[in-house]
Amino acid sequence: MQQVVISKIPFEPSVLANDFRDFAGDIGAITSFAGYVRGESGRVNTLRLTHYEGMTEAEIERMVKTAMARFNVTACHVTHRIGDMAAGEAIVFVTAASAHRRGAFEAVDFLMDYLKSEAPFWKQEIGTDGAKWIEPRSNDKRDIARWSK
Amino acid sequence: MLSRIMIRILFFGKLADVGQALTCELPAGVKTVQELAAWLGSNNPMLAKGLGQKGGRIAVNQNMVVGDHPVEDGDEIAFMSPLSGG
Repeated sequence: MQQVVISKIPFEPSVLANDFRDFAGDIGAITSFAGYVRGESGRVNTLRLTHYEGMTEAEIERMVKTAMARFNVTACHVTHRIGDMAAGEAIVFVTAASAHRRGAFEAVDFLMDYLKSEAPFWKQEIGTDGAKWIEPRSNDKRDIARWSK
Repeated sequence: MLSRIMIRILFFGKLADVGQALTCELPAGVKTVQELAAWLGSNNPMLAKGLGQKGGRIAVNQNMVVGDHPVEDGDEIAFMSPLSGG
């Protein structure tokens, strides 16, 4: 069972986590990750995220399906924000449930690496220096390369 | 000269700062997405620079493709700056 949500409005990861526990049913392990907007010591006022409507959802659905099959996960949820966000707001929440913990850990790790550099999103930081487009860092590229081995 | 093949072109990320989404006829002689990128860049040097950036992606009808992918009537072609989510 999978759920992928692209949200224009703020969300609270703890609420989604509770909902997912009900959705996941009879399982042995749940792992989750929540990402937040960093204020960078006041330098960043707003993080703006844009997406390719239709394609972004479809690509994430495809990757969640892949993750569930590869890591033997029985339920998975991804919520990702778009639009303008302030420092401290949640950007993304990924959670996975499986019979045993290893699959749940790896599915969430895999999906976050994918979302950082392979999902159709584009980020701008808007702050004291104006607007700046953000590109994947070399760490992000190394992270996703792990899963090809 | 125009070809009577109608396409829609979209730009995402930094490319959207320098490229305008449009629906147009495919120029005669342009057969692939790479050739379309070159044609778009020939009219817009800043767009040419952006389209040449490493890590950019191209999608046709919402599927990622490589540069020699053909362009056909009714296609939606998206030129994307490097992806960054999470």
